[in-house]
Amino acid sequence: MKFVLASVILLLLLSFPFKINAQSPYVLPYPSFMLGNPFYKISLIKDEILRYWYFGNFGQFKYNLKMSDKYLVESKTLFEYSQYLLGYKALLKSDFYFSNTLPNLVKADKNNKNTAGNRLLLKKASLKHIEVLKKINGEVPENYLWQPEKGASTYLKLRKTIEKSISIRQKYL
Amino acid sequence: MKKIIYFSYFLLLVFFSFFSYLFIDPNLVYLKNLYTGFVFENREVTTLLYIVLVMAFFLGYSQILKNIRMIDISSLKLLIGLTALILVFSYPAFLSFDIFNYIATAKTLFFYGENPYLVMPIEFAGDPLLLFTHAANKIALYGPLWIGLTSIPYFLSFGHFLTILFSLKVFIALFYLGTIYTLWKITKNVFSIVFFAFNPLVVVETLMSSHNDIVMMFFALVSFYFLSKRKIFLAMSFLIVSILIKYATIFLIPVFIYVLIKIVKREKNYWDNIYLISAILMFTIFLLSSLRVEIYSWYGIWFLSFLSLVQKRKTILYGSLALSLGLLLRYIPFMFFGIYDSSTAILREAVTFFPPIFLYLLIILRKFVWAKNT
Repeated sequence: MKFVLASVILLLLLSFPFKINAQSPYVLPYPSFMLGNPFYKISLIKDEILRYWYFGNFGQFKYNLKMSDKYLVESKTLFEYSQYLLGYKALLKSDFYFSNTLPNLVKADKNNKNTAGNRLLLKKASLKHIEVLKKINGEVPENYLWQPEKGASTYLKLRKTIEKSISIRQKYL
Repeated sequence: MKKIIYFSYFLLLVFFSFFSYLFIDPNLVYLKNLYTGFVFENREVTTLLYIVLVMAFFLGYSQILKNIRMIDISSLKLLIGLTALILVFSYPAFLSFDIFNYIATAKTLFFYGENPYLVMPIEFAGDPLLLFTHAANKIALYGPLWIGLTSIPYFLSFGHFLTILFSLKVFIALFYLGTIYTLWKITKNVFSIVFFAFNPLVVVETLMSSHNDIVMMFFALVSFYFLSKRKIFLAMSFLIVSILIKYATIFLIPVFIYVLIKIVKREKNYWDNIYLISAILMFTIFLLSSLRVEIYSWYGIWFLSFLSLVQKRKTILYGSLALSLGLLLRYIPFMFFGIYDSSTAILREAVTFFPPIFLYLLIILRKFVWAKNT
């Protein structure tokens, strides 16, 4: 009995620090306007304008990370509402922007800018993204045939796509 | 007598310039040979010296105002020119560190090629500017046109810090001269010029500390000059330029619209009131700035620029002079205690507002005694 109790306590002690370390302190934004909202298209135009406002290597790094965060949150929300096709597309956008983050830091390095702070930020963001993606992965079906009322159906390999998204982010850890 | 006043005034300026170098930041590697550490080790003496210098400055100013009829235009030009010339060589960060922020912001844009409204100077780890820039953890606080204008001294200096520092000082001094010229164009009155150009607060905060508020006010006054000439497009353009320097002149838009209505109605003789209303509005935003952060001494330039155009309201003018004194004395708590936080905040406010409140109490008391005697 004592052995079992000691083992449980030991297990608890070991599991707590692990759980704390696994969670990233990085904070993701609230979901922005979603598809169907009349302001959604305006927000897309705003994002396109912001691309030019975020000039410079650090600026572009921040822009791509911001967009990646935005579409990850959008994707998560859409998956939660079983809007798998839209969630899938948002996730691909998030991946695209995430892949654009590091090249900007490499350029900044070449321009003799100290990138240590932003690299740390990217690492934290990667951790947070992976945490969210793993959660989504546990909640969506492995594959899904999206059949709209009109038009052709789309076969979505959801879990494979999410795992690919995780692997993209794991490269930055 | 005139020569004695002039000579004492210039001696004071030279001494003030030397005094400013006692405040060199120990981390300012570019001027380490001039660093003495005097102000950090002798706070009491420094504070006393500062009070004496400020008081002497105000005494000189009052003498110039008193003997205004003795001053002809050529002497006035000489006095203003020499004031600017002497103080351009003073150390700019003796009361505030804003000039370092201007340089850091300019460097973020023009050297690193990053947007200063998104990227903070602190993100460029290892940059020597971070050793002594006090607001490196903030994104740009100023308008885009100001940042654009700083490109002129920045590129003329070829990236050399001390050259940037002093070319920025010259740049600000040019706007000081430009503001005086604009005031002259508006009023053609020596009193307005003397009132503004030799006000110790304006002189210290513009020619010594090199705050960009003078740039904002220069464009605002140019705008009002064109408005008085009914050149609406030019007036509007310069007001927008002024707003894009430091935003505070956005408060002048209602006055601008009011004047436009007057112009449409073909009314005349309203400009004295317009300048007074403008001064009151700028004073309002000066007071409201305490809601955002706190009242900074150099914000006094906002209302002083317009008050110099209001010559008849003597009580307001005296009050503004007393407040100018209070605003320069506002630095005393920090100088003496070496602490700039909430613990000295009440003291700062008390020191700032004591001179004008005391003055107005004195005026009320005098009126009361006068009424009693008659």
